[in-house]
Amino acid sequence: MGKDKKMILAAKKTILAIDTSCDDTSVAVLEGNRVLANVVASQTAIHQQYGGVFPTLAKQAHQENIEACVQLALQRAGLSNKLKIRDHIDAVAVTVGPGLAPALEVGIKHAKKLAKQWQLPIIAINHIEAHALSPLLSPKTKRQNREIDFPVLALVISGGHSEFILIKQIGNYQRLGWTVDDSAGECLDKVGRMLDLGYPAGAILEKLAKKGNPNLWSLPLAMTSVDNFNLSFSGLKTASSQLINQVKKQKQLDGQTVCDLAATVQQQVFSQIIYKLERILFSPDLSKKVYPKAQLIKKIKQQKTKAAVTDINEIWLGGGVAANITLRTSIRQTLKTYQKLSGKKIKLHLPYHKKFCADNAAMIALTAQFSSEQSKNTNAQLIDRQANLKIGTFCQAC
Amino acid sequence: MKILKLNLKLATEVKINQVIKEAITTIKNGGLVIYPTETIYGMAANPHDQQAINKLLKYKNRREGKPLSIAVSKQAMAEQYVIINQQAQNFYQRFLPGPYTVISQLRVNSQIDQRVASEFGTLGIRIPDYPLMLKLIEHLGHGITATSANASNKKRPYRIKDVLNNISEKQKQLIDLIIDVGQLAKNEPSVVIDTSLSTPLSMRGQLRTNDKFIEFNSQSESETQGLAMRLILKNLNNLKKQGLLFGLSGELGVGKTIFAKGAAKFLKIKEEITSPTYTYLNEYTYQKGTLQGIFYHLDAWKIDQEQEFSLLKVDQLLKANNILLIEWWDKIANFLPDNLKKQAIILDLSGQDNWRKIKLWEKTKK
Repeated sequence: MGKDKKMILAAKKTILAIDTSCDDTSVAVLEGNRVLANVVASQTAIHQQYGGVFPTLAKQAHQENIEACVQLALQRAGLSNKLKIRDHIDAVAVTVGPGLAPALEVGIKHAKKLAKQWQLPIIAINHIEAHALSPLLSPKTKRQNREIDFPVLALVISGGHSEFILIKQIGNYQRLGWTVDDSAGECLDKVGRMLDLGYPAGAILEKLAKKGNPNLWSLPLAMTSVDNFNLSFSGLKTASSQLINQVKKQKQLDGQTVCDLAATVQQQVFSQIIYKLERILFSPDLSKKVYPKAQLIKKIKQQKTKAAVTDINEIWLGGGVAANITLRTSIRQTLKTYQKLSGKKIKLHLPYHKKFCADNAAMIALTAQFSSEQSKNTNAQLIDRQANLKIGTFCQAC
Repeated sequence: MKILKLNLKLATEVKINQVIKEAITTIKNGGLVIYPTETIYGMAANPHDQQAINKLLKYKNRREGKPLSIAVSKQAMAEQYVIINQQAQNFYQRFLPGPYTVISQLRVNSQIDQRVASEFGTLGIRIPDYPLMLKLIEHLGHGITATSANASNKKRPYRIKDVLNNISEKQKQLIDLIIDVGQLAKNEPSVVIDTSLSTPLSMRGQLRTNDKFIEFNSQSESETQGLAMRLILKNLNNLKKQGLLFGLSGELGVGKTIFAKGAAKFLKIKEEITSPTYTYLNEYTYQKGTLQGIFYHLDAWKIDQEQEFSLLKVDQLLKANNILLIEWWDKIANFLPDNLKKQAIILDLSGQDNWRKIKLWEKTKK
């Protein structure tokens, strides 16, 4: 690998960022990639009674919480003195999408207000890009300055997204695969709800799955017959509902059975992610998204052919589901197998703390570190919510 | 603009032939001709002539992708344009010539201007039950456009006056010839039937008026999407006036989200449509030609109580140019105000493996 592919994290700007993309109000202050403060006001208590996030309620809660979050973040970052703000903070960053439109609106409006008040530039950030980069975050106390070995494969797996993104450089992204229907988190949440697990069902399902046996029933593995890196969880959702109904007919759903069902469904969600991850690693030409033929995979696994050495040097895992230990273990196992078959070692990088897997503003401030000078000078008025923004398609305002 | 008055009861064969000859010359030269039929006055242009179609679309104004159809003199001529399947064959036999337009798959080598056909690659064909026109088309040797002679969204033309009183001077200048036979009998415009999917679907008018719902068979995801697209096209005027409300019910995995994807495809939304179960409501802005609005995709799976539903403020979403599609309709239908419920196009999906049955209520389900 040429030296040009490596990059040292040297960004040192101090940025205050806001994220109100879904059901958590978050404000963070970062210096470079060091998290000086990351405040999250959870709305779980509000949405718990309904079992889901109502956009109207989320918006209201964001409006009520946001100013307090800003104050607390500034205080924790040691910037509560008004004079200090202008001296120390270089820019305000805010998530413009993807997310719930009414929720995004609140963050954007507040960020504009702060930028105007402090006379600072405002930076529009893509929430998925931020999840992808979240493994670069570093604690306040650590002066981390590690090298990045591009290209990197980022997996963003969360309640709203399931994507494979090839990061050639920061800012240069290629979406390799994504879900064509439900996200992994959505599927887990819906199945959790079918099992009456409460809210947030996805997280409870993960806990129960640990105690369950995933091999009592079999569920179909989707997307194995399409020659691309896309994912689909809608069919699995349907198959799971049929399985649950079938089991219910046979017996009372006792605690252990619920755990077994949870484990079965979770395993199948992760199996699909792992299946496509393997195909990405075994791809003969990733830049052209060439899908490896079944015959090739078979030969590689029987060790009749050596696996091609992929360009990918690191894997980054972000998003709410990235906190799941079973998923992490499965990915590590896959990388170990790949090393055996190809001779290449690829390291898995995760956010340094579980809380940065969930939605947070720290990753938004981090991403803003890399945005160009040009985008900082954007006319603040142009920044608007883009509820269905994709990574790689740049914000209108950027 | 030239007007040829013709009294069909008194006119001699020679006089009629003169009129036909003049109309044919005008059509061949790329002109627009207003002609009578057993329903309303139509507007003829040569569908093979790009300039003529430009002129026709300029005259019709603001079509927003509504296809034009073609009038032919006999089935053999129709077959030069479209592939007539068994379903279509039945309609041709039973209803044509007559006040019916039958939509079929367009032939690749039909050589017509693309804008005459629909965006789904289909074309409506009509054989008017009107001897003068059958003779004219037969002599011309190819089809003519069969769109109504009025400008879009104006009064139905049963008299030439109905046309001329409702258009601008500029529009008048685009008309080359009018065959005026006086007042036509006030018959409804042709019933339009799409036969390009597994089940015939009426796009205008009704086949059997006493049916409360129609049962539609879908054999693939693309057919379910095709149904969504056609239903929006069919209700385009309502969309522009007050917005559209779709209510979908049926178990998990029967294709509700597939239907939503079809709607999004029609609206030219590029984003992936995913289930909004967790957050109830997704919104997508769309722009299709000059039409722009918001597509709301609501998943009511988790909603059990009226109080929860009221948090979504659904009544504020439905306005002109917006589409609201609600999955798990039966869970929330009773929470909706009556005026909204009345507007709803309701689909009940069921099925397994590769087949789907879709019951469609276009007027409120009782």
